This record gives sequence, structure tokens and C-alpha cells, in this order.
Amino acid sequence: MLTGWMDLDRNFAMMDDFRSRMDQLFQEFETGRRTTGWQSTAWPRLNLMDTGDNLVLRAELPGVAREDLQISGCQDALTLSGLRKIEVPEGYSLHRQERAPVRFSRTLTFPVKVEVENTRAELKNGILEITLPKAPEVKPRAIEVKVG
Amino acid sequence: MSNTNVVKREEGVRQSIKGRPVVAPLVDVYENKDEYLVYADLPGVSPDKLSVRLDQGELTLEGTWVEEEKGSLVAREFRPMDFRRTFLVPDTVDPEKISANLVNGVLKVRLPKVEAVKPRRIEISVG
Repeated sequence: MLTGWMDLDRNFAMMDDFRSRMDQLFQEFETGRRTTGWQSTAWPRLNLMDTGDNLVLRAELPGVAREDLQISGCQDALTLSGLRKIEVPEGYSLHRQERAPVRFSRTLTFPVKVEVENTRAELKNGILEITLPKAPEVKPRAIEVKVG
Repeated sequence: MSNTNVVKREEGVRQSIKGRPVVAPLVDVYENKDEYLVYADLPGVSPDKLSVRLDQGELTLEGTWVEEEKGSLVAREFRPMDFRRTFLVPDTVDPEKISANLVNGVLKVRLPKVEAVKPRRIEISVG
């Protein structure tokens, strides 16, 4: 009996999965583009991490050359802008095209003040990593506990 | 024997739900009279985590994106994933001459055709 219920539960889970896939299919049909993969949201996609002393921002930028990327910032905001070019070889016929050229600009506000002048950025394998040191007044400080 | 198979399959299912997503990379495919060209977006994949294989007429691109965790996550819009995509390669491609290079997270694979299938101009002698 118990196993029977488990099976029922699993069937509902499958129906849920099926329904979400159908929703996705309709959405793709209406918008005319894939919602899977990395194209779905704002470009580029970003991850933000907090290491205590620094904020680390990662951006997914496949095919963006260093010279086509601009980063500018102030004490609590940063703008990434640039161009992703698509190399179209001359004299070739096209079989399939899924990659698209993108002109992008994204600005984000940080939860804390950062030191823009000491910011480092590294572009490697299509991933940009920006390390932003926090302003001294917002860095975590160890508090000594006195015994006695 | 059959038991171990079942166990393996169970593990596989769990990995695909909780583990890393496997995604087909976006590609462009071009052809001219000399070769095919394949471009694939593989962000985060370093050359040593990338494999390009030709096996029984199938070209498989496989890459792993290893992301170094730093500190605590504030916001996440993407997560590291594995890329995999397979193409059927026509017999006209010379398997020995396939080459690939990776620049800025974009893989470019060149698949030259064998000499025999390239179109050739035939001289017509007069007289």
C-alpha cells in the first residue's frame, strides 16, 4: 500500500515535470527563441560573491575579446559594456546558426562601498572575474574577546 | 550482473537531478568546398577540460566548466555546467586533418574534406 502511494507521488512529479516542459515549449514558440541555455536572461549572466574583504563578480562572456570589453565603476556601482562579435567566415555557406552577436551593457549596484581604484579584472576562457576590494569602513573586523 | 546495472542507473538519475547540468553548447556550422567549420560557445572551459573526439563518424564536443568557489554567494544567475554535443560528420571529411582551437571561450573546429571530393576543374583540350 505504501509503495503504491510512492508510485502515485512519482507519477504526479512526472506530470509536473511534463507540464513545466510544455509551458517552456509554448514560451519558446511565442518568443521564437530558446529559453534554455545561457541566452534566457539579461546578457551577460553574472554571479556575485562575497569573500569578506572583497566582492567577486563573475560574468559569462564567451567570444568577447579583451578590446571589446569596457568596465567602469564608482564607489557602489559597476557597468560592464561591450560587444560580442561573431566571426563569419567569408565564402562559406551556413548550415546552422545559434550564436548571435550581442551589444551589451549592464550596470549593477553593490550592497557595500568598494574601492574602484584597486579593482582587478581578469578575462579567461570566456569568463570575466572582477575582484573589488571593499572600502575599509565596511570590511569585517575581528573583535577581541578579553578574558578576566 | 543485472543488479549492478540497476544500481548504476539509479546513481545516474540522481546525478542528473542534483548534480551538474549537462547542456548542449550553442553552435554555428559553416561549409565551403574545402572544409566544414564548427564554432561552439564553451564559457569557462579550459583547454585541459575539453575533448573533441571523432568516433565512427560522430564528432563529440565535451567540456567541463570548473568554477572556483570564492566566499559566499550573494547572487547567482548561472552555475557551472558540463557541455556535450554530438554531430554526424559526413564521410567526405578527412579524419586525420581535423583541428580545433579555443579562444575566449569559443571553440573552433576545422574539418577539412578529403582531396578526392573537392570539386575539380577539368581541363578540356581542344583539337
